[in-house]
Amino acid sequence: MKARFYNTVRDLHLYLGLFISPFVLVFSISVFFLVHAWLPKISSTNAVTRVDLDIPLPGDLQNLSGRRLIDALKPSLEKANVRGEMTFVRNQVKENKLIIPVMIPGRETTVTINTTNHEATVVSRETGLADALVTLHKFPGQHLSDLRMNWFWMKLWLWMADATVYLVLFISVSGLYLWCVLRAERTIGYVLLAAGSVAFFGMIYGLCR
Amino acid sequence: MDSADNPPIPSESPSASRRRGSLERWNRKLHYYSGLFFIFFIWLFAFSGLLLNHSSWTADFWTHRKETTHDFAITPPGSAIQGDLAQARDLMRQLSIDGEILWTVTRAEPSQFEFQVRRPGYYYFIKSDFVQKRATVREARVNVWGVMRVLHTFSGVQMDDPRNRRDWPLTFIWAYSMDAVAAGLIFMVLSSIYMWLELPQKRIAGAIALALGTIACSLFCFALRWIS
Repeated sequence: MKARFYNTVRDLHLYLGLFISPFVLVFSISVFFLVHAWLPKISSTNAVTRVDLDIPLPGDLQNLSGRRLIDALKPSLEKANVRGEMTFVRNQVKENKLIIPVMIPGRETTVTINTTNHEATVVSRETGLADALVTLHKFPGQHLSDLRMNWFWMKLWLWMADATVYLVLFISVSGLYLWCVLRAERTIGYVLLAAGSVAFFGMIYGLCR
Repeated sequence: MDSADNPPIPSESPSASRRRGSLERWNRKLHYYSGLFFIFFIWLFAFSGLLLNHSSWTADFWTHRKETTHDFAITPPGSAIQGDLAQARDLMRQLSIDGEILWTVTRAEPSQFEFQVRRPGYYYFIKSDFVQKRATVREARVNVWGVMRVLHTFSGVQMDDPRNRRDWPLTFIWAYSMDAVAAGLIFMVLSSIYMWLELPQKRIAGAIALALGTIACSLFCFALRWIS
C-alpha cells in the first residue's frame, strides 16, 4: 500500500512536472528581464501603420466606461481587423479621438479611432519573444482588474498561470514527500532546508522589520 | 531512480560509464538539494503570484491600511549633498526611515522635496520643506496580503521608468534572490528532463506530458501572433 502510494506520487511528480516545465521556464526566464528592467533588443522595432474606414462605434459611447466600454468596442476592433487584449481605452473627447492599446504577447497595437469620421489608424509593432515572456509573466497583474481578460486567449492564459501555481505547489509538496522517503539524503536535506529557511526568513525579517 | 532504470550502454568504456553514473547521481542530488533550499521562496512566489492574478481576493489590503502622519523638524541638506537621491538619503537618515526610494513626484520648487519610500509592508510619503525646515511623513502600513504582493514585485526597478534604480542594499539582496530562485527553477526543470530521459519505461508517457505542456505554452509565446 505504502509502495503503491509512493509510486503514484513519484509518477505524478514526474508527469505533472514535465507538463508544466515549459510554463515554469516562461516564468523563470522572464524573472531576469523583470528584475533587471532589461529586454534584449532582438526584435524588430519597425511599426506597421494602416488606416481603416467606416469603423462602427457604440451609439452611447460617451456614457460608457470601464468594462462596458471595452465590451462595446469589440465590434469596432473586429472591423479594424485587430485582435488581442485591450489594455485600456483613452477617450479624448476634445480631440474626437479614442485610443485603444491592444496587446498580444509579442505584439503591441495601438488603434486610434476618429470619432467624427470613424476612421481608424492602426499602428502595430512586433516586440519579440522576450517581451512576450514578460507580458505573460505580468498578466493579468494587479491593476485594472475589471478591464482585464477581455480576450478569450488571455482568459485561457490566466487559467494556465493558475494551474502552473497549483501544480508547482503540488510538485513541491510531493517532492518533499519523495525526499522524506529517501533515508540516505536526510541529513544533507535537513541542512539545506534549514539553510533555505534561514535565508528566506532572514531576508523577510530584514525587509519587513 | 532505480539502478534497473539505467541499462548499460554496450559501447561505453568503463570510465565513460563511471562519469555518466556520477553525472546522473549528482544531477539527482542537486535536483533535491536545490528544491529543498528554495522551497520557501517557491511557495512565496507561487502563492503571491496567485494573489496578484486574482487581485480582487485581497483588494482590500490598501483600504485596510493603517495610516499615521507625523511632522518633524529637519536640517536641510547642506550644499555638499547634491542631487535628489543624496538629499533623500540624508532626510531618511534624519527621519530614521529605511527602504527603497521611489521617484514619483517632480520638484515644483527647489526648496520643496517630495518622495516616496517603500519596503514590504510600509509605504512612506515624505514631503519636506527646506525653508520651513520641516518634513511631513505619512506612513501607511498594510496587512500580510499587501506584504506578499510587494515581495513578489520588489525589485527596485521598473521597465517603463528608467529613473527608478535600486538604492537600498536589501533590495539588491532580494532582487538577486529572485534571480537565484529563477535560476534554481530552470536548473530543476532541466535536471528533471535529464532524469526522465534516463527512465526508458517512462519515456512515452513523459514525452506526451512534455509535448502537451510545450504545445500549450508555445501557443501563448509564439502562435497567438500568427493566428491573430
